[in-house]
Amino acid sequence: MELTTPGVATLRRDLDQTARDAETADVALAASGDGRAFERLYRTHVARIHSLARRMTGEEHADDLTQDVFVRAWSKLSTFRAEAAFGTWLHRLAVNVILARRTTLGTERSRYDDSENVLDGVASRPHTAELSLDFEAALERLPDGARQVFVLHDIEGYRHEEIADLLGIVPGTSKSQLHHARMALRQHLE
Amino acid sequence: MLTTVATLAALALAQQTDTTVPVRAGARLEVNNFGGEIAVKTWSKSAVRVTASHSSRDRITVDASDQVVRVKSESRRGPSQLVDYEITVPAAMALALTGVYTDISVEGSEGEITAETVQGTVKVSGGSGNVSLKSVQGDVTLEKARGRIDLSSVNETIKASQISGDISAETVNGDITLVQIESGNTEATTVNGDVMYDGTMKEGGRYRFSTHDGDLRVSIPEKSNVSVSVSTFNGDFSACFPVQLVGKTKHRFSFTIGSGSGRLELESFNGDIRLCRPGQLAKDKDWRAKNKDWDKDKDHDNDQEEE
Amino acid sequence: MSDTWTNRLSEYLDGDLPATERPALEAHLQGCGDCRTTLAQLRRVVARAQALDDRPPTADLWPAIARHVGVVSLDARRARRRLSFTVPQLAAAAVALALLSGGSAWLMLRRSPVSPASRPTTTRSPILTNVGTYEANPRYAAAVASLERVLAHGRSRLDTATVRVIEKNLGIIDRAIRDAQSALAADPANSYLNLHLAQEMRRKLELLRQAAALAGTRT
Repeated sequence: MELTTPGVATLRRDLDQTARDAETADVALAASGDGRAFERLYRTHVARIHSLARRMTGEEHADDLTQDVFVRAWSKLSTFRAEAAFGTWLHRLAVNVILARRTTLGTERSRYDDSENVLDGVASRPHTAELSLDFEAALERLPDGARQVFVLHDIEGYRHEEIADLLGIVPGTSKSQLHHARMALRQHLE
Repeated sequence: MLTTVATLAALALAQQTDTTVPVRAGARLEVNNFGGEIAVKTWSKSAVRVTASHSSRDRITVDASDQVVRVKSESRRGPSQLVDYEITVPAAMALALTGVYTDISVEGSEGEITAETVQGTVKVSGGSGNVSLKSVQGDVTLEKARGRIDLSSVNETIKASQISGDISAETVNGDITLVQIESGNTEATTVNGDVMYDGTMKEGGRYRFSTHDGDLRVSIPEKSNVSVSVSTFNGDFSACFPVQLVGKTKHRFSFTIGSGSGRLELESFNGDIRLCRPGQLAKDKDWRAKNKDWDKDKDHDNDQEEE
Repeated sequence: MSDTWTNRLSEYLDGDLPATERPALEAHLQGCGDCRTTLAQLRRVVARAQALDDRPPTADLWPAIARHVGVVSLDARRARRRLSFTVPQLAAAAVALALLSGGSAWLMLRRSPVSPASRPTTTRSPILTNVGTYEANPRYAAAVASLERVLAHGRSRLDTATVRVIEKNLGIIDRAIRDAQSALAADPANSYLNLHLAQEMRRKLELLRQAAALAGTRT
């Protein structure tokens, strides 16, 4: 029995489409109560959701928030419309869950600290390369407001108008918070 | 001269590999064979022996670590050809066996087993813990296993006997036959086929048997305590023993046997449902008269079947 | 050192600076080395943010989620059993199959008959609201359609014998679906028929999914 293989380029393109189509099926199955299908969806998307939760609220709460997101997603699956990409829908749901929880997570830092030196109180000396913090660790140390705007804008790609809606601020504040976050993170590029 | 050439040709096609590696307790076996056979037997040594018949273009690799022994074939040129494996393992070793055009058989295992193929049969004797056997075009047969059993075919039959544990059996175009079963939780469903269950009905147990186009034959031991609900659209219900039917319609009703602590759901859209005592199902004269060709195999490979 | 323009650099970088102010800022940049440095740094911060990798949690969170998600049927309970093997190699092997026959239309996939004529006339029985919407659910139809596309794409990756088997069994399930729908049309509140239809539709989706996995490779 002689066997041949199809061209690699065709395979790769078709595999992406296959993955998307298989995900659509999994969403349908999960919406009908199939826990195994939902687990497949979880495995595909957990890294992104967990990273979002971690960057928005810190390492400590990321696990709990991630669980909350998926539990909420399970119960809301019936509202998911097939036309949208599941990942996009899940992501937006995650942002909502995370933001809704931020008031209850109780951090001591002031939310919208206008100071550029927000990271100076921490161990690193701004001009000493070997002591500079890992970028993500530096991100975690920003005040909540600046960090959330930075994550939503520069990492997740939301626009200022959308961020303003999500966070309950005006676009002008979003822009200035973004600028402050970027200025503070300058010293912590590897 | 001709003889020599023939001999050389035969050698080129049929090569033998024979490798034995030591293993620790807790390691599992993983075999992936695209086409051919995987036959697993057991012994009492702490070692895995792999013998294989294959073409000279293929090289069999046996990769052993503390957790897993991986067996597969690699081809020097192009894809692998057919390989027939015979592998001997410690009885407790967990098995993960996969293939496409592959028949898989296991004998004497006392460990967890996962066996999946597409065009091939799966025939297992033994297994404990999680036992999951799947084929698309091929019969799935299991005996003498205990634990959480998951059997699935698409176009062929499922047969299980002498099983103890929770069972889930599913096929589309095939019969499901479960005999000598000791279970508190069994579900068997097919679309185009019969289901037969001859086993226990335990206190608080849950049993569900369903088909679209086919008959259900289920045994209920004497002195069982089970609530039975029957649903059929186009079929008849009958029992070898007297039952008191309570229900709204001819096609959906329920009744209680004893205290009714267990639950039995019987659903057949287009077929008959018959209840009998253990051991009586096969001898059930009424039923056999109606289903004269019950012991002939459905012709599954015949493409001229009308749909 | 910061000046009035420093605070506008992010806006400028993002293209949010009003057109009227841009020439003035750009003129300033030409003369201000510090500002140019800052701008470059801001660019690097943005680039760094966009290059961040996602990483999963260190612990497996699924068991806790699964507990919340809960279990009602044996099907779901079966799904909870840990299958130790997900057959990625099996699917990969299936990809390597040869084209055994050219030509004619491969799968004559009969679409799930969601035509108005066969739709149950009255709505669901009250307990089974899910089932009632299931059949008319655009998501189900979309999933079936997309899987059929996958299979059509992947026809070259499955041999004809497997294709025949899958096609035949899809036909068997489709026939069962039609039977159930006809029966439901006459007795729409029948909970057995509703459940049976849902079960067969789910079975179809599972088989399609299984076939799609054989025809492609899940990452």
